[in-house]
Amino acid sequence: MNIIQQIDKWSEIIPGATVYDYLGDRRTYSELRKMSDSLAQKLIDLELPKKAPILVFGGQTFEMLVSFLAIVKAGHSYVPLDCESPNERIIQIAEIAKPAACIAVEKLPVKIDGLTILDGEELAEVFAGEEREFDATEYQVSGDDIFYTIFTSGTTGVPKGVQISANNLQSFLNWMKSDFGITAGKTFLAQPAYSFDLSVMSIYPALTQGGKLTVLPKKVTANFKDLFELLPKLKLNIWVSTPSFMDICLLDKHFNEDNYPTITHFLFCGEELTHEAAKKLNERFPNASIYNTYGPTEATVAVSQVLIDENILADYPRLPIGVAKEDTELLIVDEDLHEVPNGTSGELLIIGPSVSIGYLNNPEKTRQAFINYKGRHAYRTGDLAEVDNQGQLLYHGRIDFQVKLHGFRIELEEVDQHLNQVSLVKQATCATKYDANHKATQIVAYVVPEPNDYKSEFALTKVIKKELMTLMMPYMIPQKYVYVESLPLTNNGKVDRKKILNEVNS
Amino acid sequence: MKEKIIEILQDLTGSEEVATNLDLNLFDTGLIDSMATVQLLLELQAQCGVDVPVSEFERSEWETPNKIIAKVESLKA
Repeated sequence: MNIIQQIDKWSEIIPGATVYDYLGDRRTYSELRKMSDSLAQKLIDLELPKKAPILVFGGQTFEMLVSFLAIVKAGHSYVPLDCESPNERIIQIAEIAKPAACIAVEKLPVKIDGLTILDGEELAEVFAGEEREFDATEYQVSGDDIFYTIFTSGTTGVPKGVQISANNLQSFLNWMKSDFGITAGKTFLAQPAYSFDLSVMSIYPALTQGGKLTVLPKKVTANFKDLFELLPKLKLNIWVSTPSFMDICLLDKHFNEDNYPTITHFLFCGEELTHEAAKKLNERFPNASIYNTYGPTEATVAVSQVLIDENILADYPRLPIGVAKEDTELLIVDEDLHEVPNGTSGELLIIGPSVSIGYLNNPEKTRQAFINYKGRHAYRTGDLAEVDNQGQLLYHGRIDFQVKLHGFRIELEEVDQHLNQVSLVKQATCATKYDANHKATQIVAYVVPEPNDYKSEFALTKVIKKELMTLMMPYMIPQKYVYVESLPLTNNGKVDRKKILNEVNS
Repeated sequence: MKEKIIEILQDLTGSEEVATNLDLNLFDTGLIDSMATVQLLLELQAQCGVDVPVSEFERSEWETPNKIIAKVESLKA
């Protein structure tokens, strides 16, 4: 059975069971089946170019999930676009992806010439209309067909679309099923935006196993009082989040096993899990299984895992990222791509069935990152790692200037690009501030401003930030601004980011 | 205590304005987001010794330097 069949099967076994809970708006497997079938048929009626990607623009409502499923049933791949994306990014992604259509669950804030749009009203009509028989087997994506494309940050300011095939996703799901002890029918936390691939760790493991997705939308997590009022009522079983989101939850001393007795698993991915946070969580939930996982979007969410127990906490002051999934090889290589022995650090190379074919319509970046390694398709992560004598992978940071801030992947060079586009900025660069646990906490911009009449640096910062809001994702915008007369340069005349990095972290 | 809190806010936001305009709305101006709020609460705990009951954390009650100072003082009392 392929992924779509695995999901649809539940509409026959447990048609009335809840599949999606958005703040009390509960939807069933039967509704998911009917609505996605109707929408898939509508897409077929549009006679779009075969296999072409389709954008889905919106937040975290049920219609998003229905759209994803309808698109793959109709033989297309979907590109999730969060409704918080700035206009500039939406336009860029549309230009790169060359989508056949856009399902606008929320209203698209920009006009894109020549793009077929299915808006909220038309969607409502499709869902309200008579139920239509739809045989997915005729059209559905399978094998090496692309299932979804998720856009990440790119060094030149141009986002890269990571294409994940049905086979890639199946490999990921096999591992989720075999290595974490998660059984059927569980309630998963759905917290991150769907444009962030961590969300895939909730969506498909839940849907293929007859489980439920319980959404914690951003409007709730932004106000802690609302968050902690709602959280215990969700009766979650499987917690999936970034470590940063866990940091918020650990602030509440009531966040423990007594008040959340249904949680059996914590799955972390997206950034480094600190020893401090894991230890605290282990004390609060002594009977739950805490997993640290690691992986780039390019290898389908995650490729390694480790159960964080008392032994791991005692043996590793900086937590390991675990061991590879069974069908995958993780190799550590030197600059010449030669394997290095255990205990030596080098670049981490991923070989296996969950490695993406490459970036959508970007052969140059694809060639750089996806290589032929001894006759096999491999992804160069750009991550520094080593394997210790216990066979555990240890993460040592990035080779280049990519950082993870609150789970978001950010290329500092991309931030620079945007900063330098701002009209009041003459020249600028940025650096990351880290805490004692090697965790990035802030992006600090160093700016040489154009002459201006602003009375204070604060007023200037406000204007610069406002302009940045139109250019880049909110999570990439530097929090702190330092104004200088000139930027430090290296001997080669390049901006000396390392010097700024040292200054920021001194 | 007041100075310490302002110092924490300055460090967190990189803005001097938090010291001069104590009625500045930290959330509306984008100086503080939810992750920065976490850091703020941790700093208040570490440097001022106040345990903020986060489940009672209503954003509107913490939105300006003055409101934060008042909150911390009431928690200290």
